[in-house]
Amino acid sequence: MKIQTSRFGEIDIDESKIIEMRGGILGFNSLKRFIMIVHEEGSPFHWFQSLDDGSIAFITMNPFIVKSDYDPEIDDQTIEILEVDNAEDIELMVILTVRSEPVKMTANLRAPLVINKQKKLASQVILEDEQYPVQYNVA
Amino acid sequence: MLILTRKLGEVIAVGDDIKIVILDIKGKHVRVGVKAPRQTKVYREELYQIIIEQNQESTQGHSIQIDDILSIFKNKIEKT
Repeated sequence: MKIQTSRFGEIDIDESKIIEMRGGILGFNSLKRFIMIVHEEGSPFHWFQSLDDGSIAFITMNPFIVKSDYDPEIDDQTIEILEVDNAEDIELMVILTVRSEPVKMTANLRAPLVINKQKKLASQVILEDEQYPVQYNVA
Repeated sequence: MLILTRKLGEVIAVGDDIKIVILDIKGKHVRVGVKAPRQTKVYREELYQIIIEQNQESTQGHSIQIDDILSIFKNKIEKT
């Protein structure tokens, strides 16, 4: 399947890798299908590219790289809507905000993307736990 | 906007499957219980808005070379 994107031009998508949003990314609820694209070999960054709107892509990363003790509690409702059978199927990614000064990049630890990597279902979850900031300084 | 007066323990029904219960009232604080279907997410409005704004901001600023950030980041990881 070929998709036109602003960032990567036309890309050929392996349909088995498409991630379906259950609940959506807040403010972008109409975007239901995404794909993870590794930024480059060895890079911690992954583009979370929308397939419904080629101009929308988020930069994401594994939160444990920047906060090794990150341990958010995922509510039962999310576990259910993502049809999680085994806890190991859950993958967490956090959305980064890139600013004009690279060192000011932040990660949103309060609202991670929770992905069922087995079934390719995802949702953005707002954590109740106030210890995780929306703008966590990573650089 | 519909405005209702409710007493402690009373309930508001929204549609067929959402119930809002007044659980406790202490001065300016009201504890509210919300019972809604699984697919309906319930958020504190101010936090909901902050996350939306952050998501929107995250889709901006990609003109900056992510490669620059990557090099800073790699340095940082090597140092730690």
